Amino acid sequence: MTAPALELRKITKRFGDFCAVNQVDLAVPRNRVVALVGESGSGKTTTGLLALRLIEATSGQILLDGHDISRIGQKEMKPYRRQLQVVFQDSYSSLDPMMTLGKIVGEPLQIHGVGSSAEQRDQVQVWLEKVGLDGSYANRYPHELSGGQRQRVAVARALILGASVLVADEPTSALDVSVKAQIVNLLQELQADIGLSMLFVSHDLSVVRSLADEVVVMLRGRVVERAPTDRIFTDARHPYTHALLDAMPVIDPKARRRRTFLSADEIAARTPRLHPSDLVAEPLSDSAEPQLVALAGSHFVEAIVTEHAA
Amino acid sequence: MTGFIIRRVISMLVTFIVVSIIIFLMMHSIPGGPFDGYDMPLPDDVKARLMATLGLDKPLWEQYVRYMWGVLHFDFGVPYQSPGESVISLVAHAWLPSVTLGGLGILVGAPLGILLGMAAALRRNSWIDYIASAVATLGLTIPVFIISTGLILVFAVWLKWTPASGWGEPRRWILPILAYAAVPLATYARYARSTMLDALNKPFVSVLRAKGLSERQVIFQHVLRNAAIPMVTIFPAMFVGIATGSIFVEAMFRVPGLGAYFVSSINKRDYPLEMALMLMISALYSVSYLIADILYAVLNPRIRVGGGRR
Amino acid sequence: MTELTTAAPVLAKPEAVRQRSPLYFAWRRFTANKAALAAGIVLLIIVLMAIFAPVITTTGPNDQLFLTNSLNFPSAAHWFGVDDLGRDFFTRIVYGARVSLGIGFSAAVFSLLVGLPLGALAGYMGGKFDWVVMRVIELFSVVPPLLAALLLATVTRGGVWAIILIAAVFGWKDVCLLVRAQVKSFREKEFIMAAQALGASPWHIVWRHLIPNSVSPIIVGFVLAIPLAMMLEASLSFLGIGVQPPTPSWGQMINVGMNFMFFYWHMAVFPTAALAVTILAASLLGDGLRDAFDPTLKGR
Repeated sequence: MTAPALELRKITKRFGDFCAVNQVDLAVPRNRVVALVGESGSGKTTTGLLALRLIEATSGQILLDGHDISRIGQKEMKPYRRQLQVVFQDSYSSLDPMMTLGKIVGEPLQIHGVGSSAEQRDQVQVWLEKVGLDGSYANRYPHELSGGQRQRVAVARALILGASVLVADEPTSALDVSVKAQIVNLLQELQADIGLSMLFVSHDLSVVRSLADEVVVMLRGRVVERAPTDRIFTDARHPYTHALLDAMPVIDPKARRRRTFLSADEIAARTPRLHPSDLVAEPLSDSAEPQLVALAGSHFVEAIVTEHAA
Repeated sequence: MTGFIIRRVISMLVTFIVVSIIIFLMMHSIPGGPFDGYDMPLPDDVKARLMATLGLDKPLWEQYVRYMWGVLHFDFGVPYQSPGESVISLVAHAWLPSVTLGGLGILVGAPLGILLGMAAALRRNSWIDYIASAVATLGLTIPVFIISTGLILVFAVWLKWTPASGWGEPRRWILPILAYAAVPLATYARYARSTMLDALNKPFVSVLRAKGLSERQVIFQHVLRNAAIPMVTIFPAMFVGIATGSIFVEAMFRVPGLGAYFVSSINKRDYPLEMALMLMISALYSVSYLIADILYAVLNPRIRVGGGRR
Repeated sequence: MTELTTAAPVLAKPEAVRQRSPLYFAWRRFTANKAALAAGIVLLIIVLMAIFAPVITTTGPNDQLFLTNSLNFPSAAHWFGVDDLGRDFFTRIVYGARVSLGIGFSAAVFSLLVGLPLGALAGYMGGKFDWVVMRVIELFSVVPPLLAALLLATVTRGGVWAIILIAAVFGWKDVCLLVRAQVKSFREKEFIMAAQALGASPWHIVWRHLIPNSVSPIIVGFVLAIPLAMMLEASLSFLGIGVQPPTPSWGQMINVGMNFMFFYWHMAVFPTAALAVTILAASLLGDGLRDAFDPTLKGR
């Protein structure tokens, strides 16, 4: 069994008293897409930044292809960064406004000293075309492009070094619906083309449905549900997941919809109660506190294990 | 809120003490004591005795501590240039002309500036607007002694409308007051214009107009209040400009005020007077900024009610 | 449920127009501002006159060749008249430009040399370093610059280099604040995080990203430091502790001109006008540049 491309073990981040990310476990298998969903403030973006070592974790482990990169220095981190890259949400502020697109996409090659300048220029052309932009765009500036085109440039920059693991932090959230589809398609094509493992952070479940193999749901820094994508959409067990699903916009005005409007406290009050017989594995602790338990079909949910469940 | 004030006051005191030490050291590093500048050199033993009487032979830090102790009691020592009086009494005589002219200058300049700025904001891009901008720029960029020269040339020499200098009768005050008025006028014209423009462009103004309020009501009952806040807070800073300008205005118009004393104290190496004036001016500056900060915090409802995200 | 699949996109091609960098747009905005453009041209003319002073004048600035014509009013032979010591006044004014502008530019350069690195580092590193820099700036803000400059000038007995350094001492904080603000606003931008994610060293980030994006405060800070320095020099020379005679400086000439003003107006008018025009031009130019680089600033 090969090691997952990216794995986070009990990763925790505190800001003073506030715990933004609380003992999160997740693993992205090779060539798979794991979506990390939740509302604003759930800690999903922070988790993504922790995985990239752009923020330092308070505790926990980060493993890239089995290598522990949790605490190594930034200099030692540099070679690993060729494998692990990022695409941000705001395409405008993630590209240096004073640099041409060619320079932006070529910067990774420069930083890592890959190839001669002529070779670097060629690679830039190759990648611009791979993301669907004509090579002559290399002389343009970010402000001359649309949001979708800028995201393509961001993807090219992220992958030009041959990264195999991509952390995408809400890459489609700032885009129009039709453009979202293009970017999602691009990512899928590239995944098929070069083999890409992705941690896809998003609050948009409709995008997640087309792209992800597994969905991890976060609430207030904790993982409350984790399951393969279709199970999440058909058999979600946690009330928060239900709330997220119900909030997805639906085109058909006549479709019957259940709308759940719950505050986080109400959600906390409705933590599912499960009988030990529902589980496929022993719960990790005997306490009556909510904990992540295993259900059938690689489905994990935060629940209270009690003999008195219905 | 009180915490904020206390912190600012403490920081002001600390800054003031540091500044006083620096000034003190600078004074005493000027080569040549107060008795070296005379045409007839004093015999050494007489000089030594005089220095001892004035305490100038003690170590520097001791002199500093003694001095600051005196300052706390409003005792700034005795000026070398007229040992019969004390520095405090000299200052007491001299501050009246300075404050009178300076104060009148502000009283003339500020309201005119506000009116000019408001008119400019209400009639954007008209000739009033251009004049206001020109006046504001001129008043702030042209040094006050040039303005004074210009005033003297135009009104005293060519038109012969007013006397050029002196302190006695109020007629002689006209030109210096105009010279002092330039900076407040320019500052307030600029500020009034920009704050009114900001307020006029805010969405709440459109709402008020949509509700049916007349333009006059909108301006006088609502816009002015919003625009007034920044203008009140820069008022203390006006004194600062007057203090600096007084050096020139008093020199040019032969007014026996603090500015004139400052220049002469430097030329005559009159330590006590110099120290006292510098300390007073620095204190004035510090207190002005402190008042301005506090005023702003008090008047800005956002800060008062404890706004601010996170 | 919205479906999210479309056909594969064809390669997008850019239109065939010239490449437009952000600086190009700043230039366009600047040239649209007539006042600033005029100011820039005026300043350029004055600078050129100062540089080519020997070419446009016939005598040296200190040559007392016209003693018998002292204090003559402007005429065809002497465009600005003659001063009290028999020197051609036009020549004095033009060489005075050299001194005043030279001091202004040099002081601005020094202000930049100190303010730029301090501001960039304070903005980028934040924390203790930033705190210390801000405290120091606060110290400098509390002391009235002119008065302190007077003191420093007496300590150092005036002279051109002393004035340049004094002006730099009081000019660096403006540049520092401008650069610091810009760097701070960019530090949180995602393209910096992206560079960090690529493994760029802090040096690479500062040199390749932060400084090129700080062109605006650098240029504006430099241009605005010039009139400040010139005012300081003029004030000090006016009071007699700046540039010493016989070296011509406009501030000093105004001081002298005051004594003759009532009968010989040319002694006061020309240096006053020269100083006023130059400072005004430099200030308008600086303001215009600032607006051109950052049109989102309020107050226009």
